[in-house]
Amino acid sequence: MRAGLALQVFSVEARKLMSYRTDFWINTVAVFAAKMVVAYYLWTAVFAESGRTTIGGFTQDGMILYYLLAILIGRVVSGGERQMSISQDIYQGSLTRYLIYPTGYGAIKYVEHLGTLVPSLLQLVLFSGVASLLFDFSQLGAVTFASLLRTAVAVAVGNVLLFLMLYVIQGVAFWADNVWSLQVMLRFITSMLGGLMLPLDLFPAWARQILEILPFQTLYYFPVMTLLGRIDTGEWLRTLAVALVWCAMIGGVAHIVWRRGYREYTGVGI
Amino acid sequence: MIQAEGLSKTFFVHRKEPGLWGSVKSLVKRTKEPRHAVRGVSFHVGPGEIVGLVGANGAGKTTVVKMLAGIIVPTAGRARVLGYDPWLRDNRMRAQIALIMGQKAQLWWDLPAADCFLLLREIYQIPRQRFDEGLAYLAETLDVDQQLNVQIRRLSLGERMKMELIAALLHSPRVCFLDEPTIGLDLTAQRAIREFLLRYRQDHQPAMLLTSHYMEDIERLCKRILIIRRGELVFDGPLAEVAERYAQHKMVAVELSHEVDRQQLARELEGLGEILPPEEGHEADLGLRLRTPRAQVAALAGRLLQLLPVTDLSIEEEEIGNIIARIMQEREDENENEEGDEE
Repeated sequence: MRAGLALQVFSVEARKLMSYRTDFWINTVAVFAAKMVVAYYLWTAVFAESGRTTIGGFTQDGMILYYLLAILIGRVVSGGERQMSISQDIYQGSLTRYLIYPTGYGAIKYVEHLGTLVPSLLQLVLFSGVASLLFDFSQLGAVTFASLLRTAVAVAVGNVLLFLMLYVIQGVAFWADNVWSLQVMLRFITSMLGGLMLPLDLFPAWARQILEILPFQTLYYFPVMTLLGRIDTGEWLRTLAVALVWCAMIGGVAHIVWRRGYREYTGVGI
Repeated sequence: MIQAEGLSKTFFVHRKEPGLWGSVKSLVKRTKEPRHAVRGVSFHVGPGEIVGLVGANGAGKTTVVKMLAGIIVPTAGRARVLGYDPWLRDNRMRAQIALIMGQKAQLWWDLPAADCFLLLREIYQIPRQRFDEGLAYLAETLDVDQQLNVQIRRLSLGERMKMELIAALLHSPRVCFLDEPTIGLDLTAQRAIREFLLRYRQDHQPAMLLTSHYMEDIERLCKRILIIRRGELVFDGPLAEVAERYAQHKMVAVELSHEVDRQQLARELEGLGEILPPEEGHEADLGLRLRTPRAQVAALAGRLLQLLPVTDLSIEEEEIGNIIARIMQEREDENENEEGDEE
């Protein structure tokens, strides 16, 4: 896709989302606050009940910080939940317009998806500022340009990987009447095994070994732990390589699903 | 520019028995039935031609358009649009075609029209100067230059349709598929769009395939039509030829100096022609309209002059729209009878 077109699609999508002011602020304040309050009280209670000072290598403040970063970075990785619009394009026949245009549908949808990240990035900056006043960030260690760059790469790869997974799932809409349940299932699995619900260090050792070769940890756990400075360079490169292999494999599956799916498309609504 | 040879499309539709048990059974086993939407359709459209594709609802018009625009893949047959297989969706072909769907908005609902057009400028890589000039010309011609900064969702149906037309023509396509472009519009907007399409044809000489339920669209825009019935092409020729081939009747209209007994007249004209009921709003007129087999025209005219106080008499071809509607209806009836016989 050409840069001019990508910029235009990106800008349109970002503007569209930010024109919904109420939605932006509800998402920013209410959802973030609710998640943080739950995480804070839950882990305060767990630490108090267990009488332990560390769990899975995290102190109580470290755990709260993990959640804070997972929620903020998670929004950037997963975007604005706009992926459902792909299956709606298939069901409602809006895909037709993209089949007529001399450009690829997948590329346009990915750039649209990137456009939805603009509000998430704004929220990330806004809440990092607010949170730094409320929480102890000394656990974060030294944040350098290199660690920020590594985190950005990890976030970018996680973002592509999650989009590809959703692109495959949404493509099932060519055959199935409803892909919502599949999407919910994927969201649960990625949240659970990707480190959004809890740090993967809390899983038993044998499960950790399996998770290291699966794509999910790249989504949330990998970028958060990178920012926390808890992954050394060797492990970072190895995790990145695993993630890129998964990107290639899931991209291949997406290509096959969509190539076959186009043959099933009936262009309803016209 | 558009060529279709033996184009066919069969859809498979799921059948489910009614009721709860039917729903339970469908969880385990579903019956699929073929539905032959288009069967062996062949035709071509050359540059500068606007060809009307007419048929009843469900006849297969839109399926033909979808196959030619590369939206759906045919079950059999081949098509070439500007020398390309449409369903391979080559970007060089897609950059030169347009699809206008009256029943389906293609523009981005939440954006002002001007933003949609900017996006299309990038998609079609239209040079800035050509884009600015083209947009100004199209918006002014269609009289929507004041609405360019209004969100699409806030436009009236007519304005939206005009914006859709602009969006489809900004890149000066060489092939246009127009699927019901005037549906739901008032008469003024319909006329404006028809005039615009004629002007566009004159300036750019594209190949255009038009489907419409409004016979006026067909009559004003198309010199040639394709009639499709139950997925089969049954007529491909000049619009004028439809009357010659299918009009077995002519219309005879007489003006009278005073009222006559219509029932008695009907008895006297038996075998020569049928008296049509007066048109809406013309019930009190001193006149009669009759439909007569072409072979009986002279005999009927003579008989009318002999029997009635005629002040004026005219003989006309039946309206083209009525002929086409009848052809389609006859075929529907034939098919229903065939299906009845099979059962």
